[in-house]
Amino acid sequence: MENVTEAIEIQMKKGVLALCVLALLSRADSYAYEIASRLAKDIDMGEGTIYPLMRRMQADGLVETYLVESPSGPPRKYYRLTDAGRGSFTQQKTEWAAFTRAVDDILGAAA
Amino acid sequence: MTRADFMTKLRRGLAGMPAASIEDIAADYDTHFVDALAAGRSEQEVADALGNPGRLARELRAEAGMKKWEEQKNPSAAAAAVFAVLGLGAIDIIVLLPILMGLVGALFGFFIAVIVGIVAGGVVFAAGPFASPPGGPATAILGGIGIMAISTSAGAVLTLLTVGLVNALVWYARLHYRLLKPAIDPQG
Repeated sequence: MENVTEAIEIQMKKGVLALCVLALLSRADSYAYEIASRLAKDIDMGEGTIYPLMRRMQADGLVETYLVESPSGPPRKYYRLTDAGRGSFTQQKTEWAAFTRAVDDILGAAA
Repeated sequence: MTRADFMTKLRRGLAGMPAASIEDIAADYDTHFVDALAAGRSEQEVADALGNPGRLARELRAEAGMKKWEEQKNPSAAAAAVFAVLGLGAIDIIVLLPILMGLVGALFGFFIAVIVGIVAGGVVFAAGPFASPPGGPATAILGGIGIMAISTSAGAVLTLLTVGLVNALVWYARLHYRLLKPAIDPQG
């Protein structure tokens, strides 16, 4: 039973990770370490997972990168949303709201 | 694990990918170390939080292989995708392997049959009229064209089946490596 709960939890987190990244970037452009540490702190994600995800989102055209000179060390790679990314965020946010509302209703009915 | 250990293992795991991709990925993780150290964390702590570099490399390779297949449906991309998926080494994929081998073997056999059919049709078409067949030369010519047409359409159906099979495998792999714990939870 514990394994099942754990698997569900992992699947849920994996599923919303992309949505969280889109949400963070919709507020401000950011770099991977900032995104990773934010998500690791708030939803307990492994930090390493962010890089495969960012590469996939970049390949899918949801985010793009640009370099910013850094006062210390090499230039830093920033991510920003593309128009497609913004569209995807709006759509996923709506779906998420509808989904959580439905789940809340069911949970409320069961309590 | 130190930063150098992590980077060495990651690069070793990524070997075989295009050099530019390897540099890109390595730079991402290297920057992560720089940022984390600047934030006052230890190399050991950061490496632990990032997870197993070998496992990360395998997922990155698998993702690249599958992406290539989605962009270009050709035999080499299919092979790349299949090997990338197998490279994940997930237990359920190993269980799946015998079935997969059977399917691939059967498909390969059918493809050979299709090629033989096309060649045989060509022979009937070209040489048949001179062998004074029953029904006359026209029968042989039309018969030859018929055999080639049937073989070609069988080949088309087989190609669709193969594309479907690789798609299914990619879908299955994605479904499963997302469930694999080590890539998500930090591990030493």
